[in-house]
Amino acid sequence: MKAVRLELYKLRHKHLFFMVILILLVEIGWAFMATSMSISRNPDNAGWESLIAMLSAMNGLFLPILTAICVSRICDMEHKGNTWKLLLTVSVRRSSLYAAKYAVASIVMLVACLLQVIAITTFGIMNGFEQPVTLFLLARFIIGTALTTMIIIALQQWVSMAVKNQAFALSIGMIGGFIGMAADLLPTGVRRILVWSYYTGLSPITQSYTSEKMQFIVRDMSSLLPMMMVLIGAGIGIYLVGSIHVSRQEV
Amino acid sequence: MLKRCISAEWMKLRDSHIWMILMILPIISVLIGSVNFYMNQGVLKKEWYSLWSQVGLFYGEFFFPILIAICCAYMWRLEHHNKNWNMIMTAPVPTTSIFLSKLIVVGILMIAVQIFFFILFFLGGKLAGITADLPRELAGWLLRGWIAALSISSLQLALSMHIRSFATPIGIGLCATFIGLGMYVAHLGLFFPHSLLTIGMGVLSQTSLSFSESLLFIIMNLLYIAVICTGAIYRMSRSDVVA
Repeated sequence: MKAVRLELYKLRHKHLFFMVILILLVEIGWAFMATSMSISRNPDNAGWESLIAMLSAMNGLFLPILTAICVSRICDMEHKGNTWKLLLTVSVRRSSLYAAKYAVASIVMLVACLLQVIAITTFGIMNGFEQPVTLFLLARFIIGTALTTMIIIALQQWVSMAVKNQAFALSIGMIGGFIGMAADLLPTGVRRILVWSYYTGLSPITQSYTSEKMQFIVRDMSSLLPMMMVLIGAGIGIYLVGSIHVSRQEV
Repeated sequence: MLKRCISAEWMKLRDSHIWMILMILPIISVLIGSVNFYMNQGVLKKEWYSLWSQVGLFYGEFFFPILIAICCAYMWRLEHHNKNWNMIMTAPVPTTSIFLSKLIVVGILMIAVQIFFFILFFLGGKLAGITADLPRELAGWLLRGWIAALSISSLQLALSMHIRSFATPIGIGLCATFIGLGMYVAHLGLFFPHSLLTIGMGVLSQTSLSFSESLLFIIMNLLYIAVICTGAIYRMSRSDVVA
């Protein structure tokens, strides 16, 4: 807990939250603009389903890159300041540092997910959606987004800490954004093994074209649960491998 | 002096493996775009133009600008490390040469990326079974894409020089791609470097630019490069460094 507090203390002048909010504002603004245009063309689209589906699709592009930036900033300060040796001489275990950095990155990204939900709700209410706020759908949206993000954080943290050159970590984030955006075009087998595709894969809403008309379908929760379990297992695996690898690296 | 600075920048890039980063994204863009084109040939009937719309959209609209941002952030990474700002500013080298050498090196890297992208695009089209001749607009798209990439590079270099963090300028670059898309949609594309890339590479509209449009495009890019470089060099020579 003390390590987490210290990580947050180190970030106090880094304007990390400001940057996350700035990028989120661009994403949310873009998603809401696209939804407004879609509603003006077809008033039937004025529902929570279309809004959640739009933001899930946008998350596929934005959140991998945002996560890469966020994690890179949290990890790179130790590389840049040459503080690894300093930290290790105060007898802090490297696995504790790794865990603290993971926790802080998760906190920042969870705040980002929560802000998205608040923005969705505000947009829906302001646009006078007829249905009441669907808390169940929003809860599923936030669980899916947060879970995928936390696994991506584990992956990004491993790369950001193991490789000093942050260009690699950010390139992985960029490739992740590409995969997240194009996830629906990929075959199911390929999609299953690429973690970035789960922003749309775990979204409570899916889209389908029937007779040249787009329909929003609410996914069955039970069909997503086994996938979530596998993802949690994969996330824990990536985290442990990353933590062990980084702890054994020479400083 | 500029020549020496350029060779120094090349030396800094030695063993950086930046080429891996520069190559992987065009490969993924073309791979996914070509597969999508191949699977939907019933709808995408305009051969090379349709392939360009699939391949070029993601590459030119989103990932090329971010690739430029990563590359530019990398160019200043060494200066932000240790006490290297003090070293570089006390070296008998004009600040103009320091900044311009980085821009020139990024420009050369971007030429390589564009050529590599063209080769992949050609191979992707041939493998997807396109038999028609290459579109005559293609050279213009690639060249104008490179010119716009120089404008974006000068902006990103200026940001990365000023901001010590490696990732923050890339985040700003991500936001800028979307602002650029908005400006393009609002027909204000000439007033933002990222929109100029959309116009130049013909990623959203595969029509060729007229002579006057091309001239205006080049003038706007040169203006951006001149203004941004002058501002960045002035700032570098006047403000104190934080090492």
